[in-house]
Amino acid sequence: MPTQPASPQQSDQIPAIQNIISVLWPSFLTASAATVIFFTLFDPIELGRLLGWELSRMAGYTGGFLGFWLLTSISCALTCYFRRPCHRVLPAEESKNEQK
Amino acid sequence: MSRNETNPASKQDAALENELYQKRKKLYVREVHGIWAKLRNLAMYSLLGIYYGMAWINWNGQQVLLFDLPARQFHIFGFTFWPQDFIYLSALLIIAALALFMFTALAGRLWCGYACPQTVWTEAYMWLERLAEGDSRKRKKLDKGPRNFNFYRVKTTKHLLWAVFSLWTGFTFVGYFTPIRELAEAALVWDLGPWETFWIFFYGFATHGNAGFMREQVCIYMCPYARFQSAMIDRNTLMISYDPKRGDPRGARKRGTDPKTIGKGDCIDCGLCVQVCPTGIDIRDGLQYQCIGCAACIDVCDDVMEKMGYEKGLIKYTTENALEGQKTEILRPRLFVYIGIISLVSLMLFYALLVRVPLEVDIMRDRAALFNENRKGLIENVYNLKVINMDKDTHRYTITVDGMDGIEVKGGASIEVESGEVADLPLRVQVPPTSIRERSSEVFFNISTADGSGIELREPARFLGPVPR
Repeated sequence: MPTQPASPQQSDQIPAIQNIISVLWPSFLTASAATVIFFTLFDPIELGRLLGWELSRMAGYTGGFLGFWLLTSISCALTCYFRRPCHRVLPAEESKNEQK
Repeated sequence: MSRNETNPASKQDAALENELYQKRKKLYVREVHGIWAKLRNLAMYSLLGIYYGMAWINWNGQQVLLFDLPARQFHIFGFTFWPQDFIYLSALLIIAALALFMFTALAGRLWCGYACPQTVWTEAYMWLERLAEGDSRKRKKLDKGPRNFNFYRVKTTKHLLWAVFSLWTGFTFVGYFTPIRELAEAALVWDLGPWETFWIFFYGFATHGNAGFMREQVCIYMCPYARFQSAMIDRNTLMISYDPKRGDPRGARKRGTDPKTIGKGDCIDCGLCVQVCPTGIDIRDGLQYQCIGCAACIDVCDDVMEKMGYEKGLIKYTTENALEGQKTEILRPRLFVYIGIISLVSLMLFYALLVRVPLEVDIMRDRAALFNENRKGLIENVYNLKVINMDKDTHRYTITVDGMDGIEVKGGASIEVESGEVADLPLRVQVPPTSIRERSSEVFFNISTADGSGIELREPARFLGPVPR
């Protein structure tokens, strides 16, 4: 992926690092908030008991946070995927644009 | 960003857009000395001092600041909070957010320039980098130079310094969530739990990446505050600005030259303001959203102006109104609105803390039977009380019931609960059948202490009984 656009039309080619940030970072923020709110309401030990697991609180918090982060990352990745400009969805269209 | 859109030079937009998607150029930020640099260092030392030191301060054998996640208790300066006290945290967050808005309206990105962890740790990591690699010129030379033994030796030293600092940072971070002294003992014999280890490395890694490598990219790409800052800034906000009327046209000249005689402004175009900028922008291009308001350019420019024999303040904290020769109104309605709301929420928080009862009682009816009739002919309900002592002292609680004629707790009830403990207390409550009027009646449990602490609580519950014929 070229890091600098050859023409203004191609300025929608976002560098890889920005794509990575826009998946991992907003999801990290929302996952942190979700973890705080979720574990304010529910005690991991009680949850573990319901599921029949032997769960320490630290393990519950960490697992919960990573689980939330996974979910929110998937949602961010899908957003990134779907916000690809429509004119670039078909490979033929893309190559036509590049020829211009 | 919206400010750039209103900028008459709208062709700047295209340039800005290009710049946004450019590959990042590594910055070699030049060290700066001056009054603002001193202030920034002072902020850095105090904030880092608080961060690394506070975790070790004990008071009455209790860590002063400990968000004890394994125990679900939050110890803050002698107060113990529980997850149920979430509302206080929300109030605190509202106050913090409004204070941020207020300071931004007053003097731009003060937070970013002096207090943001990203800024503070970046400064610390740049300091370590200077220790290992030398000043900005040496660093540039090293990176451009051959990959010889010296290169790898210097780089390894820097990364080792960073790694040690990162791990210490991660360790301290975890030390706010599990008691730090126990954590230190465990760390010394390498007996940390898996989760503690994970978080120490995770936080250390994040610090290392953000302060060592990402730096200004965090502010540009990741910071939400930078994106909505323009909503808080107006024409009366103190901002770091270059005075184009005074500075332009720019140009090099000999020391002590009167700018008027050569048809130029005061700016000698030395480019130092760009070299010291931690985000690599040119303040002379006007207000840019990358500017974190660190005032490094003010310090360096004042220095140059002094050497040239010109008046200081070519770059300074000033307002848009002042730059255009209009009157600046610092005390304006929006500030009073912020101050008003902050005071109101603070007062509410203070009042709520004042009347807070450090006791919680959950009353659950025993599910095995709705009610029984005992040998004396009294109707009996069984309850399970969960008594949570949220105070810092141990208390003995006495429980009484009212709400129906002749209602009483069988055998009386009292229980001692240690500070921060939860106790289960099964109770039998008896009522003479004659006072039962409904299938389900409202009764009240009164929980109180007799030790002069004045802690008492009244909780409603339902009492079930046979409907009288």
